[in-house]
Amino acid sequence: MKDKLRRFLRIDRRWIFLLLTAVMVWPIIHPFGLSGKTSQQSVRDFYDFVEKLKPGQAVILGTDYDPSTKPELHPQAVAALRHLFSKDVRVLILTFISGAPGMIEELNQTVPAEYGKEYGKDYVIMPYNPNYMAAMTQMSIDIYKAYDKDAEGNDVRGMPVMAGIKTYKDIAGVIEITGTGMLDAWVAYAGDKYGVPIIGGTTAISQLGFGPYLQNKQIRGLVGGMRGASEYETLISKPGKATSGIDALNMAHLLVILLILSSNLILLVIKEK
Amino acid sequence: MLIIKKYIPLAIVTIVGLLTLATYYVPAKASSAYLSTLNQWEVIVSGFAFLLGLISLLMTHYKKIAKRVDGWGYSLFVFIGFFAVVIPGIISHGAQAKDGVLTSLGWAFRYLYNPLAATMFAVLAFYIVSTAFRSFRIKSVQAFVLFIAAFILILGNVPAGQMLWDAMLGWTGICGIGDIIQWIMQVPSVAAKRGIMIGITIGAAVTSLKIIFGIERQYMGRD
Repeated sequence: MKDKLRRFLRIDRRWIFLLLTAVMVWPIIHPFGLSGKTSQQSVRDFYDFVEKLKPGQAVILGTDYDPSTKPELHPQAVAALRHLFSKDVRVLILTFISGAPGMIEELNQTVPAEYGKEYGKDYVIMPYNPNYMAAMTQMSIDIYKAYDKDAEGNDVRGMPVMAGIKTYKDIAGVIEITGTGMLDAWVAYAGDKYGVPIIGGTTAISQLGFGPYLQNKQIRGLVGGMRGASEYETLISKPGKATSGIDALNMAHLLVILLILSSNLILLVIKEK
Repeated sequence: MLIIKKYIPLAIVTIVGLLTLATYYVPAKASSAYLSTLNQWEVIVSGFAFLLGLISLLMTHYKKIAKRVDGWGYSLFVFIGFFAVVIPGIISHGAQAKDGVLTSLGWAFRYLYNPLAATMFAVLAFYIVSTAFRSFRIKSVQAFVLFIAAFILILGNVPAGQMLWDAMLGWTGICGIGDIIQWIMQVPSVAAKRGIMIGITIGAAVTSLKIIFGIERQYMGRD
């Protein structure tokens, strides 16, 4: 018996890979519909912030993620943009990550049409800028010196979406969706120094690191990972990719717990150090 | 020669460093104008730095291919990947879509970069699960504490875990898993993170001052 248990502890990892594939593919084919219970205060704060915005106000939406973190962050960006458009808020979309323009294009091709939003009037996409520090500092003095043209090379000065916007003073808030350190940068260069409200969306693994900012209200709300995204989708009543993906995530988490518990129980039984 | 190679760069760094530092505390128009000019210079200089890095990367991999060193085939993929994105990028003038239709760059991004990057990241999940099974074994008190914290976080981060917790322990009336996670995230986790952040920030400030005052000169090279 003990030999069998010992052999189980040394199981070929390819069996674990197969098991994980099975438990994740199964709920994707047959979703269970385990909806996320809204329990995180930071997600509700994110939602409340957008909810309190008035029509016509302008918000910066930083989409600093690439395909590697797309399953967690793209649903957050989609949900945030949907919420902003539903409130008739003007949106300035920008990025400092080279892999993000393709993600922004995906947003551009889907979300604005759902709300009948017009490019240049209701939202604008700024070009990729590799130097975030310079751009963030510059926007405190004159946004047009950081972004005088949009991503397609059109002059942004004459666009209705930019009417009355010159510095951070004319911006109601920054929503940053990222798995990088860009959220810290917004806090340091825009939030703390110029008092711009900063809201964030991040990966589950990065979420813990933003605790100090949340406690100090340097970040007013935070959506973390796919779970946070599914909670946000529930709050805006627009179930999307996060809601459908949460089942697979559920199963993967439960498998991890099961494996850890079983390996420790076996160790206890065979009393092996 | 020493003046050109050493003293002039040091003087530039000291003057620009101190002036930039001062702009943070001096809310004058001249201060904004200076910062604005400096930001534009920074963007231009970083563009050249980017180009320099690219040339260095391509040269390194070209040498590996030319000398047929171990794993030179991977270097070949650096060139294939590079041209698979750069050529469509030039053809489509950097635009990912035009009039709602994907350009060749948009196609390369969506159907090459997108699945490749997503696959690279997704593969991690398999290794994490396998490693969790092999390594997460309680062999000390510290490992037990880590196990409990990780167990609660993993369980509480998905609705099924919350449902499981409520079904098994809900009747006891003790706090929900959400409350425990909230406490872990707001007390021990924040304390540790704050300590790390303060340490990093002090280190960065000290290093910056050392560079500004010419004590740290590694950025100037060996001479």
